Amino acid sequence: MTAAPGYEPALREVVAAAAAGSRHADEAAEFPIAALDAMRSTGLLGLLVPAEHGGGGGGLTELVDVTMGLARVDMSVGLIFAMHCQQVVTAVRHATGPLADRLLPELGKGDVYLASVTTERTTGGHLLSSTSQVRRDAATLTIDRDAPIVTGGRHADAFLITALAPDATAPTQVSLVYARRDQLTVEVRGGWQPLGMRATQSVPMRLTGEIPVDQVLGVPGRFREIVAPTFAPLAHIGWSAAWLGAAAGALSRLVQHIRGDGRGQFDPSSELLLSRLARVRGRLDAVHALLRHTIGVVDTAADLAGPPVQMLVNTLKTQAAEQCFAAIDEMVELVGLRHGYLASSPLYLERVFRDLRSASLNYANDRLLLVNGALALRDREVRLV
Amino acid sequence: MTLDTGFLDLLRPFLKYVGDKPISADSSLHDLGLDSMRAIELLFAVEEEYGVAMPDELLTDSTFATASSLWATIASLRERTP
Repeated sequence: MTAAPGYEPALREVVAAAAAGSRHADEAAEFPIAALDAMRSTGLLGLLVPAEHGGGGGGLTELVDVTMGLARVDMSVGLIFAMHCQQVVTAVRHATGPLADRLLPELGKGDVYLASVTTERTTGGHLLSSTSQVRRDAATLTIDRDAPIVTGGRHADAFLITALAPDATAPTQVSLVYARRDQLTVEVRGGWQPLGMRATQSVPMRLTGEIPVDQVLGVPGRFREIVAPTFAPLAHIGWSAAWLGAAAGALSRLVQHIRGDGRGQFDPSSELLLSRLARVRGRLDAVHALLRHTIGVVDTAADLAGPPVQMLVNTLKTQAAEQCFAAIDEMVELVGLRHGYLASSPLYLERVFRDLRSASLNYANDRLLLVNGALALRDREVRLV
Repeated sequence: MTLDTGFLDLLRPFLKYVGDKPISADSSLHDLGLDSMRAIELLFAVEEEYGVAMPDELLTDSTFATASSLWATIASLRERTP
C-alpha cells in the first residue's frame, strides 16, 4: 500500500466483500472469510504500519475512518479489523531489535492477520495478570496457553499472547509474546454461539509451542508498560469506532427508508418521529466528537499514564458502548416491529441491536467504571483534557 | 532509609500477592498486587495514619512504585507540615 489516505479503493473492496457475506456470517456464526481475504489482497491489514516498512503509514484517524466504514456494513468486520490494528500498532511500537527487523516488513505487506490472546479463564478480561506459566530454556519460551475467547483465532496468521514471564514472582509479571501460527500447535476447544458479534467467531483455543525468547515485545514481564500508552487506548478507540460505525450505518439505512420505500408509513411532521431522530443523531454526534477528541489527546499527550488521559480513554469506551446501544434501541422503537425486530428486514437493525448489546460487556463497563472512580479521586483539581 | 514497621504493617493488606513474605523496601508494589483501585484505598489509609494530604501531582506510579518511594513521599510531606 502507498501512504494513507490512499486506502479508499481497498476499503471499498473490503466493504463490498463484507456486505455480500454479512447475512450468512451472522446466521451461521462464521468468520467473514471473503472480507478477510479482501483485507489481505488489498493490503489493508498493513494500513497502520509505517511506510518505511512498506505499510500504509496510517495513524489513529485512518484506523477510525476505516473501522467505521467497515462497521457501517458489518460490525463484526469492523471489530476484526480494529483488533488486528491494535496488535499491529503494539508490534510497531514495542518490537525491537532483530524481531522488529523481521516482523515489521512482514506486517507492512498487509497480508498477515494478527489475533490477540489476552483473556484467560482465571483472569477474565483482566489484562494485567496471568496464571499461564511459561517455561524458558536458554533460547526458547515454552508456551501452553488456554484462552477462552480468541477473535478470529481459527484464521489468524499470528498471535500476540500474554503469559506469565518465566521468572515471574507475581501474577502481574506478564509478557507479551509474538508467535506465528506455524510456531504453535493450535487447538480449537469449543464453539461460538453468541447473541451478536457472531461473525467474529471468537472461539476458545489452546495454544502450545516453543517460541524464541527474542519474540517477546517490550521488556519481559512488563506488559503493563505497553498497556497504558498503546494497548488500552488502541482497544478503546478501535472498539468505539466499530460501535459508532455500526450505529451510524443503521441510522443511515433508517433515514433512507423513511425518505424512500417507507415514506408512506412515516409522517415527517410527527413530533415524536423528529424528536426521536434528533436524540439518536445526537448520541452519535456526541460519541463521534468524543472519539475524535480522544484521538487528538492520545496522539499529543505527554503523559498517557496520568489520570486525566486514562479517564478520558476509559470514558470514550463506556460512553460509546452505552450511547451506541441506546441509539440502536431507539431506532428499533422508532421504526417498529417489521423493520426493527425482524431479521428479514433489509435495514437489519435487529442484527445491529444484537451486535451492539456486546459493547458494554466487551471489557466490562462495570469494571472500567470502578477504575475511573478510583482515578477521579486522584484528581482533585479535575484537570479536563 | 529505614522504614517505619508500622508503615509496612499498614501496606500489607493492600498487597494481595505478598502473603506472609517480608516486604522489602525496593520490591515493586505493583508486582505485590497493588492495582489502581487498591492504590486509592492505600492513599486514604496513608493520609489518615500520617496526617498528610498528598497533592495530585504526587499521585503517580513512581510515588507508589516501592515501599521506600512511598515512604519517602510521606516523610517529605510530614517535614513540610508543621
